[in-house]
Amino acid sequence: MSSRMGGLMLALVFLFLIGPFLIIIAAGMSAGETLAFPPQGLSLRWFWAVFEVESFRASFVLSIGLAVGATLLALVLGVPVAYALARYPLPGGEAMSTLLTSPVIVPAIIVGLALLRYVVIPLDLGIIPALFVAHTALLVPYAVRVVSASLANLRSDIEEAAVLLGANRLQAFFLTVLPNIRNGILAAFILGFVTSFNQVPVSLFLTGPGVSTLPIQMLWYMEFTYDPSIAALSALLALMSMAIVLVAERFLGLSRYV
Amino acid sequence: MFTSRTTGLMLVLPAVVFITVGFLAPVLILLAQSLRLEDGWGIGNYLAFMNDGLGREVFWRTIKLAALVTLAAAVIGYVAAWAIVETRPERRGVLVGMVILPLMISPVARTYAWLVILGRTGFLNVLITNLGLSEEPLRLLFTETAVFIGLLQLFLPLMIISLVSALENLPRDVVPAAQTLGAGWIATFFKVILPLTREGLVIGGTLVFTGSVTAYITPAVLGGSKVLMLETLLYQRVSVANDFASASVIAAILMVTTLAANRLLRRLATPRRR
Repeated sequence: MSSRMGGLMLALVFLFLIGPFLIIIAAGMSAGETLAFPPQGLSLRWFWAVFEVESFRASFVLSIGLAVGATLLALVLGVPVAYALARYPLPGGEAMSTLLTSPVIVPAIIVGLALLRYVVIPLDLGIIPALFVAHTALLVPYAVRVVSASLANLRSDIEEAAVLLGANRLQAFFLTVLPNIRNGILAAFILGFVTSFNQVPVSLFLTGPGVSTLPIQMLWYMEFTYDPSIAALSALLALMSMAIVLVAERFLGLSRYV
Repeated sequence: MFTSRTTGLMLVLPAVVFITVGFLAPVLILLAQSLRLEDGWGIGNYLAFMNDGLGREVFWRTIKLAALVTLAAAVIGYVAAWAIVETRPERRGVLVGMVILPLMISPVARTYAWLVILGRTGFLNVLITNLGLSEEPLRLLFTETAVFIGLLQLFLPLMIISLVSALENLPRDVVPAAQTLGAGWIATFFKVILPLTREGLVIGGTLVFTGSVTAYITPAVLGGSKVLMLETLLYQRVSVANDFASASVIAAILMVTTLAANRLLRRLATPRRR
């Protein structure tokens, strides 16, 4: 394949991958009442309008809170696992890591349905705790994998040195290991946040009337309304993700962990 | 120094308890329920699902669409990954970043873009009617093609990334060597490139196939109730029909299909011994 031909092919592939975003941004800037491309006149009114919709505001706040909370809990559970996998002989090693990574291989919609039937209904759990449990379970494998990757290059002599110098094991971890895997933890946080924020299938059965995550609220809204507000909101979310990714890539080299 | 099994166990215990109670146990109970009948246990629910015309149709459509998306992603993926690997290393990083970027953006936003493009008053229909190719706007949405396009755009990046790392590890001189020895492009691809990058292809293929089988948003938005796939059918069975027996069967089918695809493709990844 000649390199010019390759360049052309690549341009087409990027047109397919990224072009649709340019189209939603343009469709969101429409001045008209219904969704159309090319837009009927240019205005930013729909970008402001989405902030006026109460259900978008409430679900945005819920989604952000859920993503932050679930990612933090997944890290609290996952960092010790990653550390144990790197440093200790584990009882039932292989089976243990299969168990801990199992949430990635189970289709998320099943997790949502199973939790609804056998945890939420029997325990009469509220919507928010239910979402919190489901999202955390899905994120633990990510936390373990990303933090493990950054622990892999860390030699164990630094903890040994710290212990020889009089620190106990816990102090040794917080003083020597944690500062060294800080970037891995931050990367895991960003990946976890984005994954939870964008997650739909696991939340499908767990959200209820009035309490919903943003992506699910958007799915509901687009079923009944055909105005440019979802285009504007999608464009805003795309820009938000791009900003997060660019900042993370610049400071952490996020793509190494994907 | 790191020999204490107890400490290791203590470190993993909270996560193990959480995953078991908040994930594994409910999922296993749900899967087991698919074998539960009104009088005892058996595969009656599965037979009922497969004898129901809709169930069978949705199952085969899901497999067919996922296979087609995987095939298309592999073909486009090789071309794109090859072109990326051919560029200078400093540009390669930017290009890989541009491939990864869409993965971080909400799939709802990514799918909605196709609604804008394929809808009745969408971009493509405006183009078609203005060019006089058709008097009436075409029905492009709620077709298998729409779902196929949406899934391909969603999962293609995963294939490209897997193939880029596979092709980066391909020794630089094997392709010129094959061509000096008289192999054409097709022979070079099937005899040299494909066997040497098989592992990357399988990793990408597994991600694309299982992702497509378990997709919810794309079939829900671009397929609607006309083009149901397993997940949208599962959702309907629970929320519209309140039919948990058949929902648990679909859940089990989804689970088995993903696991089987993982297994089968991994077996294909290990090179044959001679």
